[in-house]
Amino acid sequence: MLFFSFFKTLVDQEVTLKNDIELKGTLKSVDQFLNLKLDNISCSNESKYPHLTSVRNIFIRGSTVRYVYLNKNMVDTNLLQDAARREAMTEKK
Amino acid sequence: MSFFGFDTSGNQAKDRDGRDIQKPLDFEDTYKGLGDYDNEEEDFLNAETFGATAEFGTDFDFGHGNGGNEPANNANSYATASRSYVAAASSGVEHQPQATLDASVDLKPMESLWSSSGPVIQQQEQPQVLSMEELERQQRQRQMGGQPGFMGMPPPNYGMPPPPQMQMHNQYPGPFPPQGMQGIPPQFQHMPVMFNQGQPQAQGIPNQAQFSPMYQPQLHNQGEGQGLPSEQAGQGASPAPQALESPIPAPPALSPQPQQQQQLQHPMSPPQMISPPHTPREHGRQSRGQSRREPLTAEEQKRLQIRQAKVEKILRHSGLMTPRDKDFITRYQLSQIVTDDPYNEDFYFQVYKIIQRGGVVGESNKDLIARAYLEHSGHRLGGRYKRADVALQRMQSQVEKAVTVAKERPQKSKDHSDAAREGVLGKISSAMNSKAPRRQLQIPVHKTGDESAIADDNSSGKASRGSTPALNVVTQSLEKVEISQQSRARRRSSYAFTSVDQSSVLSRSGGRKFVLSLIETVYEEVLELEAQLRGGSNIDSTALWEALHIGDESYEVCPFISMLSFDKGIKIMPRIFNFLNNGQKLKLLQTFFGELSHLNIIIISSYKTNASPTESQLKQIELFQAVFLKIIVSFLSSSANFIEIMGLLLYLIKNNNVSFISTSKIGLNLITVLISRAALIRQDINRSNVLSSPEISAWNEVYDKLFTSLETKLSLVFPPKEYTDKVVRTTLGSVSGSPPVIAASPQHYDQAYIWQFLASLALSGKLNHQRIIIDEIRDEIFGTINVAEELGKGQEDQPASQYKKDKLYQDLNLFLNVMGLVARDGEITELK
Repeated sequence: MLFFSFFKTLVDQEVTLKNDIELKGTLKSVDQFLNLKLDNISCSNESKYPHLTSVRNIFIRGSTVRYVYLNKNMVDTNLLQDAARREAMTEKK
Repeated sequence: MSFFGFDTSGNQAKDRDGRDIQKPLDFEDTYKGLGDYDNEEEDFLNAETFGATAEFGTDFDFGHGNGGNEPANNANSYATASRSYVAAASSGVEHQPQATLDASVDLKPMESLWSSSGPVIQQQEQPQVLSMEELERQQRQRQMGGQPGFMGMPPPNYGMPPPPQMQMHNQYPGPFPPQGMQGIPPQFQHMPVMFNQGQPQAQGIPNQAQFSPMYQPQLHNQGEGQGLPSEQAGQGASPAPQALESPIPAPPALSPQPQQQQQLQHPMSPPQMISPPHTPREHGRQSRGQSRREPLTAEEQKRLQIRQAKVEKILRHSGLMTPRDKDFITRYQLSQIVTDDPYNEDFYFQVYKIIQRGGVVGESNKDLIARAYLEHSGHRLGGRYKRADVALQRMQSQVEKAVTVAKERPQKSKDHSDAAREGVLGKISSAMNSKAPRRQLQIPVHKTGDESAIADDNSSGKASRGSTPALNVVTQSLEKVEISQQSRARRRSSYAFTSVDQSSVLSRSGGRKFVLSLIETVYEEVLELEAQLRGGSNIDSTALWEALHIGDESYEVCPFISMLSFDKGIKIMPRIFNFLNNGQKLKLLQTFFGELSHLNIIIISSYKTNASPTESQLKQIELFQAVFLKIIVSFLSSSANFIEIMGLLLYLIKNNNVSFISTSKIGLNLITVLISRAALIRQDINRSNVLSSPEISAWNEVYDKLFTSLETKLSLVFPPKEYTDKVVRTTLGSVSGSPPVIAASPQHYDQAYIWQFLASLALSGKLNHQRIIIDEIRDEIFGTINVAEELGKGQEDQPASQYKKDKLYQDLNLFLNVMGLVARDGEITELK
């Protein structure tokens, strides 16, 4: 649940996904499989994927995403540490 | 007029009349030649499906019910063919011996039906010649018919739209198939056995009957009601449970009125719909006539086609699930997301939101989920009536239910009832779900003896040391042999001198691993306590206190001190302090000051032990000042009394090499904090004249001790020039983004903390103390004045150097003012 919880805080923020296709867009929603719904997307290598020029929003299966770039100030690292500790604690129990 | 693609001339015409049915059908006449187009690849299963022994002649008679004159084997073959469906439905694929079938058990009830003439036969023939499109249409019509049956279904958005009907005429110039349905006895729909090809789908009717609200507007515009009367009539008469709320009373003897009402309700209907046919048969003719009368333009036609294609697409899988099914799925999906314990399972999100909103909890989590889910599922428009609020309410209640489901989940998984759901929602693995996703790396979590043993066991420190590297064991045991309790303190200090490497200190408090695990334990305790605080339950911090290992004598260096060697150990301190009472805080600080020379941060910040601090070390120093020093100051100023402060100072002096501590920035800061606070309290008390003489004398004693340990070494508090230069360079390197003006001019080491220390030292001392201080640091005072004057002479960077000059004087005067002196323009004068 940690990552789900984490990504939920990024809704309405701009993120960049990278796999081979690199997409930038506003995160609209995320679910427990980390499927992502992006709005206003733009593709950084559009020459390679011209079909994406006409796409505005997109739903991406979570398992296909390799990286998500985040702005540094969108993440509360201390809180994230705590959340990770909690996660570990509940796992131990 | 043609039906079902029949050639309307010839035999079939008679068929239609229902008069000449006795005459066997000629297969070739009715056969469309569909089989000519390509080889069916999978027809090797046909034998199994339809019965290998069946013999087909061309003299079919589908109306076997009235055929006493039919050849027996023909009847048999028909029975066999039809039986295969029944068998499939009842007993699976297995081929049953034909002999059991000639009784036609399945067919028996139908006899009465088929004894009625004409239309029945049509119906039987129908599947034979239906094209795919026609089949689909037919089905759809049946859905319409079936729809009222689902009126009782829960969701209000399904409150029946008039059964959507497609306007087919323009697209399919062929005969209008629904007409064939008109004469069918209603029961027919419930006896799918008698259908041939269309039948398996027909069985699905009830499930397909409802439409997701999404589609409704479209269908709505499509116009409705063609062939409707007949369908409704059929349904109305059927024995199946029918919805009473059905807007169409549907008496078998059709009157146009209900339809007209509908027309009024939906003025958007295509024009040709305005005058509905009185009977379906007429209707078909009429509408075709109309379309002829008003030919659509190419554009309109195109648009219609596109729309139809869309509707077609939507309808293909529509109605597979009932609203109840959907609700169930939604609930199940939601139950994976929601939790009844958000602060535990959704910690980051919850706390992050609170932080972002400045402590105000806005919308509840459940509302957010409901909204997001609504968005996801495409229901946000609220269906046909655009009641988004209703949809949201429904979703919220779904979320509520899902929470309940989520609550039940743990117990259920114990019973392995997840397995029961398997197949319902695909494969469900209880070991692998959203909460415990599959991992790339499986790290075995078996409890290693080392850490847990150490963490659990405070008393058996000696035993646990066995886990630390062998070398440490040796050195430690050696030390144990030698060190007596008395000499311990001194040894510690001298040891600290020799090494910046924190591992030596760490190893004497249980090892690096142990300390790190301790910090984690502390974090866990704090998190636990904070959760209790949120929950409003009583807080019990004893576990936390024990985790801190304060006053733990089993280690040479208190583990608590070693905890402060790590950034995360420092960062947790304010949160620890929230849960400690005053006594505990005092005890903690006593331990802290008592073992100050072991503090990693002191060693790092002392120019003696760490002549060239790295950037990260400087950052660590900064962090310590910002976090821990702040706590100490606030504790001292808010809740510590004079005696307690004296006690802390005494701890510091007794157990440490004060002159070493004073060479470090942090150490000097700490001493400054203590004596300045004591001085302040003393002034206050002096004013109110309540300070008892024993207290004053005790303070004097402590101060004397402090001063003695510092005497003759006071000039050492000033770090050498090489050290300060290095620090300045390192800080400059780290602040790469600073303006070039400042970077170009030579930066100066901020010595304010040193002057603050000297000032507070002088403030608490008597005149002779002050004299000694000035004697010892005379060079530094004049050195500072010289530097300041040099800066003033510099031509370039006037404002910057002027500022620096002022700063230097300001710092210096902080000290000088205590003794009634002031330095100005290179001169020291008496303060007026």
